[in-house]
Amino acid sequence: MSLYAKRNVPFELFEVNLLDADDKQLLQISGEMGIGLNLNEMKAVQRYFSRKKRNPTDVELQTIGQTWSEHCYHKTFKGNIATPKSEIRSLFKTYIAKVTNELNPPWCISVFEDNAGLIDFEKGYAVAAKVETHNHPSAIEPFGGAATGTGGVIRDILGVWADPIACTDVLGFGPLDYDYEKLPSGTKHPRYVFRGVVAGIGHYGNNMGIPTVNGAIYFDESYVGNVVVYCGCIGILPMNRFVKNTRPGDVAVLVGGKTGRDGIHGVTFASAELTRKSEEVSRPAVQIANPIEEEKLKRAITRTRDEGLGSAITDLGGGGISCATGEMANRSNCGVYVELEKVPLKYPGMAPWEIYISESQERMLLSVPEKNLQKVLEIFEGEEVEATSIGRFTDNGILRVDYLGQRVAELDLHFMFEPPRVRRNAKWKEPDYEEPYFPEPENLTYDVFKLVASLNIASKESVVRAYDHEVKGNTVLKPLHGRYGGPNDAAVIKPLSDSWKGIVISCGMNPNYGKIDPYWMAASCIDEAVRNNTSVGGRRVALLDNFTWGNPEKSDRLGSLVRSCQACYDFAKGFRTPFISGKDSFYNESPLGPVTPTLLITAIGVIPDVKKAVSMDVKQPGDIIYIVGQTYPELGGSQYYQLRGFIGKTVPKVRVDKARKLMDSIIKAIDSRYVKSCHDLSEGGLAVAAAEMSFSGGYGMALRLENVPRTEKMSRNDFLLFSESNSRFLVEVPEKRREDFETLMKGNVYAEIGRVKKDSYLSVYGLNDEKVVDASLAELRNCWRSALGG
Amino acid sequence: MMYRAKIEVSLKSGHSDPEGEMTGQSLRELKYSVKSVSVSKVYEVYFEADSRQEAEKQVDEMCRRLLANPTKDDYRFEIEEVK
Amino acid sequence: MKKKEIRVCIMRVGGTNCDAETKRAFDDLGVKAEIVHLNEMVKKGNLLDYSALVFPGGFSYGDYVRAGAIWAKGTLTNLRYDLRRFVEEGRPVLGICNGFQVLVEAGLLPGFEGISEYPEAALATNVPIGYHCNWVYVKHESSGQCLFTKEIQKGKVLRMPVAHAEGRFLFPKEKENDYLKRLYDNDQLVFRYCDENSEYANGAYPINPNGAFHDIAGICDPTGTIFGLMPHPERAYYGWQLPDWTKGGRMPKYCDGKSVFESMVEYLRKKS
Repeated sequence: MSLYAKRNVPFELFEVNLLDADDKQLLQISGEMGIGLNLNEMKAVQRYFSRKKRNPTDVELQTIGQTWSEHCYHKTFKGNIATPKSEIRSLFKTYIAKVTNELNPPWCISVFEDNAGLIDFEKGYAVAAKVETHNHPSAIEPFGGAATGTGGVIRDILGVWADPIACTDVLGFGPLDYDYEKLPSGTKHPRYVFRGVVAGIGHYGNNMGIPTVNGAIYFDESYVGNVVVYCGCIGILPMNRFVKNTRPGDVAVLVGGKTGRDGIHGVTFASAELTRKSEEVSRPAVQIANPIEEEKLKRAITRTRDEGLGSAITDLGGGGISCATGEMANRSNCGVYVELEKVPLKYPGMAPWEIYISESQERMLLSVPEKNLQKVLEIFEGEEVEATSIGRFTDNGILRVDYLGQRVAELDLHFMFEPPRVRRNAKWKEPDYEEPYFPEPENLTYDVFKLVASLNIASKESVVRAYDHEVKGNTVLKPLHGRYGGPNDAAVIKPLSDSWKGIVISCGMNPNYGKIDPYWMAASCIDEAVRNNTSVGGRRVALLDNFTWGNPEKSDRLGSLVRSCQACYDFAKGFRTPFISGKDSFYNESPLGPVTPTLLITAIGVIPDVKKAVSMDVKQPGDIIYIVGQTYPELGGSQYYQLRGFIGKTVPKVRVDKARKLMDSIIKAIDSRYVKSCHDLSEGGLAVAAAEMSFSGGYGMALRLENVPRTEKMSRNDFLLFSESNSRFLVEVPEKRREDFETLMKGNVYAEIGRVKKDSYLSVYGLNDEKVVDASLAELRNCWRSALGG
Repeated sequence: MMYRAKIEVSLKSGHSDPEGEMTGQSLRELKYSVKSVSVSKVYEVYFEADSRQEAEKQVDEMCRRLLANPTKDDYRFEIEEVK
Repeated sequence: MKKKEIRVCIMRVGGTNCDAETKRAFDDLGVKAEIVHLNEMVKKGNLLDYSALVFPGGFSYGDYVRAGAIWAKGTLTNLRYDLRRFVEEGRPVLGICNGFQVLVEAGLLPGFEGISEYPEAALATNVPIGYHCNWVYVKHESSGQCLFTKEIQKGKVLRMPVAHAEGRFLFPKEKENDYLKRLYDNDQLVFRYCDENSEYANGAYPINPNGAFHDIAGICDPTGTIFGLMPHPERAYYGWQLPDWTKGGRMPKYCDGKSVFESMVEYLRKKS
């Protein structure tokens, strides 16, 4: 039996003999056409077409493959998961969306359902936020992958009619000194990947004139084969111009770049494991970026918005025109009719299915009422951007696609958007790490130097300065701030000319903790993201979640995902911080093994008056240094252990009610202007936070560990200095504000531990009053800056 | 008549070439014993002209008016007629 | 000219991206500024309706060929006569970053003998290579010729950010000394990179962020009405844009870049 029959038409169109196919052949079809559907899903497609009493075309099968892919539909998060204890019906509903539903804050305008989350801001404006994963394309082609990742997330912001105003980028690479000899063939060296990814992000953001204001870079062995690229974008829009209301009769207008073969099967490829062959097979799946095209697109879209001419908008990302037309029609309960030959092509000779699913960049879809069409076309022409009507929305709930007068696809939208649920098994197995024992070093100065120079802590200046973080002139707190360019905890943007209100952007990521327990990793990520926001004065925080995990069809990988999702619910609820958007990336597996499960939490807060924002550099000799929050013997997964080659077991926990209360108090102290500088304690603990504050401000510090609030068991100086317990801050307060500050902090754990000094040394006195750290600021700064080539 | 010009725009000697230097450094990291690298840009232009002489004149103008900045760039080109 | 009669044209093309904050500076000074696409201006032919012209920063046409080159040729080809008249009438022309690159590529700067047919200078790839975004210090060198810095004392050190990959100011090697002398003779040298103590960078990175010849950050034409600079005065306009505004007690309301816009407005106000 032949599985494919070419139709007798003047272009390439195949009918796929699905009705007669057995299980083996169904899988063969899925594989040969590269649509990545499993047997269960192929059978659902088969049943649909038996009811229709006909075989599908290649266009139809490809469309279903795209729409049902992990990338577009998030099967794992929406599917059923059997754990040893219970059956979870949708991780997304059970843990992530549940937080937002239960908290239900009035300032959440639109969450999860759109290209980006929308929250209320000021004077009728809303903030839009979205963070994307772009791991797989960046592994194959670092520059192109990262550039299109940035371009894609910016289009997500345009996809809710918002003006993109800031980018964030969080990246994970293998160690830069990784042995060339150990690299499997087809895997690129971390140094090459690093250079390419950083250049790619800069290429897009800089060219489009969107400041990259926040980010982080982590290094981990597992990222050698699985680079992690999170691209985020923040936008702003007048809420009265937000419209997503496509009506039957509206015209489907494709705007932006031409369509080519680039990016064909990007989606199914992002949902599969990387293998040695990926490089050869998948190169065409990576798209080519043209930021200038998108800059022009942005101008035309915002003008269309301001003149109220469109009825809906969405970006063309995974699945190209097929997903965009389907989703837009489905969202407004319409149908859609597409004339595929109208799509402007880069070159002739493309088959209809290729045109329909191509992922060429810098394209978007608008629905436009007929009466506004001419005006919209003129706006795009004025910006030298191509705009073409490619079809029309209908009222029949059917997706119809014609090519040169021939019907090439006809699918019911409710079938397309209700794929069979996957059912998977999850079982988390606690790893058997042990707490290491080693004698306490007498002098810890050397360890402080080593820590500030370790890759995860060291300055990322060479990267930060390759990105324009000043364009638009609205960056109030920059990634590197103060006289000596210290690492701020969060960025602050002032987006409106006539208001002092600011947007506060921060993040939290702790893959090391997840090696011990993904539950406490997720808790720590949320704590870190929120406390970074708090440090500069941010409050009313909304969260975005991004998961990078291995193959979810393997029960241990899925088990750890379930555990981290449980923590997402527990702690986001505890901090009263709703999730507003998220994105996941699975199948991050390479010949070197699975990725270390990596959760990124991005926090978007607000500050009522940016003039009150607090930076992390110390300001004035004589000021008091307080530590706020309790220190526990929690060194599991810490940078201090890592320095000695250990992981450990005592992963930092979060006591969420205390933490929330404490952060509220800090905000009050910042608003009252008692706080001159504030820095959160994270990697490297108290020692690194103190060093960073000190060398960034140019003044020394003398601290006494005896005064640090701690649990009874803590009797080692090194553990007090390097524990990474969550929910802690160092705060600089002038002597004259002592009483005010202490009154405000009542009921929280805090203590005065030292002073800012006029000299240029960081001095720490241990529990027996002996000096355990004596480090010159110049040397600390030098170690911190030179590790990654400052 | 249709002509094809292959135009190469390169840096004048005397000015530093950061792109070439960076590329050289990268190649040396890959363990090639590279002495130096120079980078130039190649344009392939298809255009109409009445004669070969006219074609050469046009290409020279293209270079001087847009493709090269005489402050730092040298250029050279080859022209051939295409059918 | 009365302040309310002043009309500033901030021109843009595809890839321009600093137009909004440049306009905001003029808004703050109470001057009407309009952002106009080159194509729109070509269609309307109304360049001479404006009192001043600004080429803002960005990546015009993706910086293809050379940064600013395509925009420069496009402007010259389409607005040739109007632009010539605009310049001859002494109406101010300002180029910031990509805009400076445009003025050099268009032959408006240094413009020793008026608009030159081919560029007499270049803004080449940074040394060290790469896009670089940082705050720099520049020393004001003009003795009064440049209208855009008339309100700034000679020798004053200003702080502004740079953000570019092609900002290395160059003269043709064989004419370097001759051209430099002419810059001095004509009072065309406006800003040079220096450190916070007003010591010239002498080419040292990162004080000189791009390897520019003679630490040149900005120059004007011999008449002082055309001015281009790599740093961004519009990003150094308000006090809260400073990289260390949290340092002192009170945040300053404005910072150094404002004086460039003020000087320009002041010149226009005094102009008949």
